Amino acid sequence: MSKLWKEFSKGLWKELPPFKLVLGLCPVLAVTNTANNGLGMGAAVIFVLTLSNLLVSLVRKAIPAKVRIACFIVIAASLVVAVELLMQAFSYPLYQQLGIFVPLIVVNCIILGRAEAFASKNPPLLSIADGLGMGIGFTMSLTFLGSLREILGQGTWFGMHVTWDGFEPFGFMVQAPGAFVSLGVLLALMNFMENVRRKRRGLKAVEGPSHDCGSCGACGSSSKC
Amino acid sequence: MRPLQPLALTVSAPPHRHCGVTVRGRMGNILLAMAPAVVMAVASFGVSGFRVMAMAVAAAILTEAVCDKFMDRETQIHDLHAAVVGLSFAFLLPASAPWWLAAIGSAISIVLGKMVFGGLGGSPFCAPLIGWAVCRLSWPLFMDLDASMLNVELTYPLAQLKNFGLGFVSVTDLGQLFMGRQLGGLGAVQIAGVLIGGLYLILRKHISWIIPVGVIAGALITAALFNAADPNVYAPATFHVLTGSMMFGAFFLATDGPSSPNRRIPMLLFGLLIGVMIIIIRVYGVYPDGTPFAILLASLFTPVFERIRPKPFGVR
Repeated sequence: MSKLWKEFSKGLWKELPPFKLVLGLCPVLAVTNTANNGLGMGAAVIFVLTLSNLLVSLVRKAIPAKVRIACFIVIAASLVVAVELLMQAFSYPLYQQLGIFVPLIVVNCIILGRAEAFASKNPPLLSIADGLGMGIGFTMSLTFLGSLREILGQGTWFGMHVTWDGFEPFGFMVQAPGAFVSLGVLLALMNFMENVRRKRRGLKAVEGPSHDCGSCGACGSSSKC
Repeated sequence: MRPLQPLALTVSAPPHRHCGVTVRGRMGNILLAMAPAVVMAVASFGVSGFRVMAMAVAAAILTEAVCDKFMDRETQIHDLHAAVVGLSFAFLLPASAPWWLAAIGSAISIVLGKMVFGGLGGSPFCAPLIGWAVCRLSWPLFMDLDASMLNVELTYPLAQLKNFGLGFVSVTDLGQLFMGRQLGGLGAVQIAGVLIGGLYLILRKHISWIIPVGVIAGALITAALFNAADPNVYAPATFHVLTGSMMFGAFFLATDGPSSPNRRIPMLLFGLLIGVMIIIIRVYGVYPDGTPFAILLASLFTPVFERIRPKPFGVR
């Protein structure tokens, strides 16, 4: 049981998909202009991710290693088609909002990443826990980013008016550049919090990737900088 | 017999001589160069212009201090760069800008235009333009130089040109445009003041003459080509050079150190690109004045221009 909980909870914070693993950025950037879109996208991903993890885990011994990627894609694609049809049937406005990004769940790195890294090596129950945890973490992140952008950019939250009168919406945030900027600021904040936590424990702060000048060569001097 | 005295040698790392130019001195000189335009802006727009500039400068300095605190490094606000960024940003605003617009835009200029890249010298863009672009996208109504300044008798020649055509531009007299009798960014349209400041910077060698000359030449040539094609539709070249924030951009924004190239030919190409882009945006774009976007675009080309460089000695 504790192992199940461990696999489930790692997606909620420790390996939070968009902000810690930095996976699945396409929907994170594209559909988070409102909290509602973020939540809807997240729900679709939870569905696809959990079921694809389960199916991949069930057939993991039958798939030849050489064609496994294609098999994972086929499984994910079938599930995405199911989600798409369900969304068309039950929440058509949301489907119209998300548009092309629902079919694009197929090529979302999280789906393939979890199938490859976890479900193809673990039994079904653990894979479900992993998929559910990752999916919920992804949904939380998307909803959070969507709320942030919606509140700042439109002054509303899930369509409700939440700001004071005379608030001038910060329109930049709901546009495309606002997605990049807010995601970057959030990632910086995550790293900052991580460093604060490590400092409290007496560990050394994590710096950025140590830059190896020899491998870059952007500045033209290949030998020394 | 006296003991042999060894020669007293000081061992230190180079450089051993320094010409005495400091960041603070350079920024102080830029502020001094902006002073004539500040005086003209206050004379032209009164207290409201002064209010915007003071707010922007204060917000910029405060933001940088907070960022330094947050980034756990020694504060560098005494090098005056934050003040220059804040004032440059205020120069691009309409005089009627509300206080929060000046404060937020100025803070964004510092945070997104300077501090996220690691402070002074790290930014690939001219910091005030980042703030300007964010504000222009977010609050087009407040940043609209024309609509937000309906209560003054000055007119915005570029908007008239864009929306109604050349025949409806009310002030075409170059002397009046030169003295700042037009609407625009509150400091950027004080053409005479900006020109005095720019010439001062060039004479003191704080900026190179090549970039401003490149910008103005590029704009003059492109505008002259359009004008030659159809003089009834396209404004004369001199009109373009003396309106909007062209002059301010050429002397103060395009010459921003880290975002502009630093050899002669790249600098000239950089300037020409800005000048050409300004006119193209003014003629075909949706924005009446293309200067900030033209400079941002050209800054992206800086690494490409920087590849034009002399061959190192001895390399085949």
